[in-house]
Amino acid sequence: MSATRPMIEVEGLHKYFGDNHVLRGIDLAVNTSEVVCIIGPSGSGKSTLLRCINHLETPEHGRIRIDGQFAYRDEVEGRHRAHRARAIAAVRAQVGMVFQHFNLFPHLTVIGNLIEAPVHVLRRPAADARRRGLDLLAQVGLSDKANAYPEELSGGQQQRAAIARALAMDPKAMLFDEATSALDPELINEVLTVMRDLAAGGMTMLVVTHEMNFARQVASRVIFMDHGRIVEQDTPERIFGAPRERRTQDFLRNVLGR
Amino acid sequence: MELFNPVIALTNLGPLLAGLWLTVQLTFVVILLSLVFALLVALGGLSRHRPLQWLVKFYVEIIRGTPLLLQLIYIYYVLPEVGIRLDAFAAGVIGLTLNYSAYISEVYRGGIQAIGRGQHDAAAALGMTPALAMRRIILPQAIRIVIPTLGNYFIGLFKDTALVSVISIQEVLFTAQILAAQNFQYFTLYTVVGIMYFAVSFPAARLVGYLERVTRAGYAGRRPR
Repeated sequence: MSATRPMIEVEGLHKYFGDNHVLRGIDLAVNTSEVVCIIGPSGSGKSTLLRCINHLETPEHGRIRIDGQFAYRDEVEGRHRAHRARAIAAVRAQVGMVFQHFNLFPHLTVIGNLIEAPVHVLRRPAADARRRGLDLLAQVGLSDKANAYPEELSGGQQQRAAIARALAMDPKAMLFDEATSALDPELINEVLTVMRDLAAGGMTMLVVTHEMNFARQVASRVIFMDHGRIVEQDTPERIFGAPRERRTQDFLRNVLGR
Repeated sequence: MELFNPVIALTNLGPLLAGLWLTVQLTFVVILLSLVFALLVALGGLSRHRPLQWLVKFYVEIIRGTPLLLQLIYIYYVLPEVGIRLDAFAAGVIGLTLNYSAYISEVYRGGIQAIGRGQHDAAAALGMTPALAMRRIILPQAIRIVIPTLGNYFIGLFKDTALVSVISIQEVLFTAQILAAQNFQYFTLYTVVGIMYFAVSFPAARLVGYLERVTRAGYAGRRPR
């Protein structure tokens, strides 16, 4: 696998919520094994961009390719043709997503959460899925919680379980949508540690985050978004050390308090 | 003459119990059918298929806007005029099922819509089609929410089955009417019938109360420790 092969490609993406032009022409490529962190003020469109990449929002314009394949719709003679639900689901199955509010399935145990999609979407034998699920729970430090229900877990444990659930699909890339924003401060690190380990293991990651230290230490590239546009993207050293754009400078001064 | 005659009560207990048994049978058949049919109606109403939505709305509004008694009479006495002849039990089952399904479909709909966006997102992000997500993720949670409400509807149904006496089904109330017409022991017979209804309804209501507590306690609560 070439290190520069693009895993996620976004071209000319526009998204409106009514009159609100939330994404104003986003072009972005995430290469295999790259960790790209998106930072920016709230309302800048970061989460919407992530949700468009998984087709949880339908963009009005633009193209998305996952692993080289057009995802969710084709463009034929300039007109969009939406894929069928089954084809959309098949692309989503290749991309893991972690949500701000975990969204574990409350009626299933932790291991039940992990094997649900591998068994019913990928049609893996339940015993295999279970074995793989237990390995993943060990990886995120939740071996003792396999048979617990989500409501019995702390926020940090729930989010680690949610990460394991996404990994159980053996995704080609992982999307993190403010994965630590809903957590109490003392629970943030256990989740970031799991994310660090994933990055070190070569996972392709697109991470929307407010954790500047994580972006600084883990990202291969940092993107600053504001008002639906990518304002600036560069290595973490340069974004945090010497941002070129005024808006980036202002934002970082605000969040870093300097 | 004393009002309550224990001898009359005892000698008529057999036919009354037979009537009660028919009432219970009718109730259970209608519960089973309407649990399934109402779910289909609810899913039809929530589908993106417009004509199906309209059909569901039409059905639900017609049923809710007319009395159950009229619906039963219509099915049993009017449908034969257009060549649809049903025996009384079948007509009663169909009438009650159509009626209760309209209400229960709304209960299901409420339960399904109570499941948050996040659950749909998570299921979709794992590659589940909308149908699979509905079956495996949304419905199990929604049904759990509506179980107590369903229970209360079914207790109502148990009592509403008395209405099928109008289409000559000899359930417990109609049995009492027939017996009373012979021996004029209204007080005794109808008191026994009232006790019979209560003897079934009250434990059922307690059961619903218990289910309500269990479902409210959360998913972990049901696990044996």
